[in-house]
Amino acid sequence: MSRILSLFALLLSVTNLCAQDDLFDLLDESVPETQTVFATFKGTQLINAPTNETPGKGVLQYVIAHRFGSFTDDYLYNFFGLDNAQIRMQLDYGITDRLNIGIGRSSVLKVADSFVKYKAFQQRTGANAFPFSLTLNSSINYRAARYTDGIDHDRTDRISYYHTAIFARKWSPSISTLFSPGLVHWNTVPGRDDPNTTLHATLGGRIKLNKRIALTGEFSLMNNSTLSDGSTFTVPGGVGIDIETGGHVFQIHLSNTRAMSNPYWLSRNTFSALDGSLLLGFNISRVFTVR
Amino acid sequence: MKHFFIAIALLLVAPLSAQQYLTRQGTITFDAGSPLEDIAAKSESASAVYDSETGKLGVQVLMTSFVFKRALMQEHFNENYVESEIYPKASFRGTFSDGRAVGTLTLHGVSKEIDVPASLSVEGDVAKLHTEFPVSVADFEIGIPKTVANKIDKEAKTTVDCTLKLRR
Repeated sequence: MSRILSLFALLLSVTNLCAQDDLFDLLDESVPETQTVFATFKGTQLINAPTNETPGKGVLQYVIAHRFGSFTDDYLYNFFGLDNAQIRMQLDYGITDRLNIGIGRSSVLKVADSFVKYKAFQQRTGANAFPFSLTLNSSINYRAARYTDGIDHDRTDRISYYHTAIFARKWSPSISTLFSPGLVHWNTVPGRDDPNTTLHATLGGRIKLNKRIALTGEFSLMNNSTLSDGSTFTVPGGVGIDIETGGHVFQIHLSNTRAMSNPYWLSRNTFSALDGSLLLGFNISRVFTVR
Repeated sequence: MKHFFIAIALLLVAPLSAQQYLTRQGTITFDAGSPLEDIAAKSESASAVYDSETGKLGVQVLMTSFVFKRALMQEHFNENYVESEIYPKASFRGTFSDGRAVGTLTLHGVSKEIDVPASLSVEGDVAKLHTEFPVSVADFEIGIPKTVANKIDKEAKTTVDCTLKLRR
């Protein structure tokens, strides 16, 4: 009899235990295991190159960027390059969490641009994982500066395009990288044999030093760096620091680029870091939720 | 005699699993705003389980399911404050009895015993859970930088509203 009773007690306790375990197990079962990776990069641009990020739905972003004079260009006389600062202003808006459109104006060659950016795929972890984010970005750029070559130029001559596919991956909460192959198309080139389209690949990354400060770096390769008029172009690149404070992102960097509209810094850069032509610069972004 | 006890034991198994209530669309909101900044978020995908037999109550929510009015605030919440990539979930595991929920609240990887007023009414196949309580940000080791300290309430007013259905 006592044996039966103990069996009975055992059975009861087992069922009780099962019931308890099952109850809290139910919580875990119900959690959707797939999670979209967020905050791969702090800004919508790294130094010059666009990142996979967009501002988000209903968010208006204003970016003001400066590139100061080169260290090789009478640095003290020009007050550390501040006297010949170049500026770009950008205003963009997130139509959806994935779609972003914007306009910009750069003082180098008085280039006005407009762009569209779309997050095609987002990196995900968990059950339905996806290893990287893919964002597509295209811009059209209009050079307003007068030509000095004495030739009558059509309005369309002033236009150039930039298209890129930005592959980005957040490896850990602090390390993210991007690889963005792209192309620049120029409506006008100096000579008949010069290619209108050049191919590019940007490599970039960031390491977070703490919650609000990150180290960034990027450089871009191109397939054709000399033109028939004798001009040669260098590999654009730089290193910087991202500082985030509430609604602002400050990006302070040292690069060998001066132009800030995509085709110009990417495909027509003449500064060489090897010659000591480094420039200080910054981008500051401010977001406003207008929705 | 032996068979009789086994039969009773088996019978007892059935009602134990028949008293469980569950939802996967529970609502949790919190408000840590101040006169300077509107900081509030809502998740509508919290899970809750309740066993009316044992009084056991569990609630769990994915931190990234909290939606803020501002996308950037949501990003900061997940990235810098609750660190959702490291601590993806917040949970409560405990019991409900006599108008109080008593148990362990886990958030940001920190577990704390809580004892808060709650209401849980069972009507037929439905159990309605409602509770409101403050969550001290410091208790859960969520760091707030000095520059924004006056914009964030040190205690997040948290509200849980879940309609649980009997599991069959």
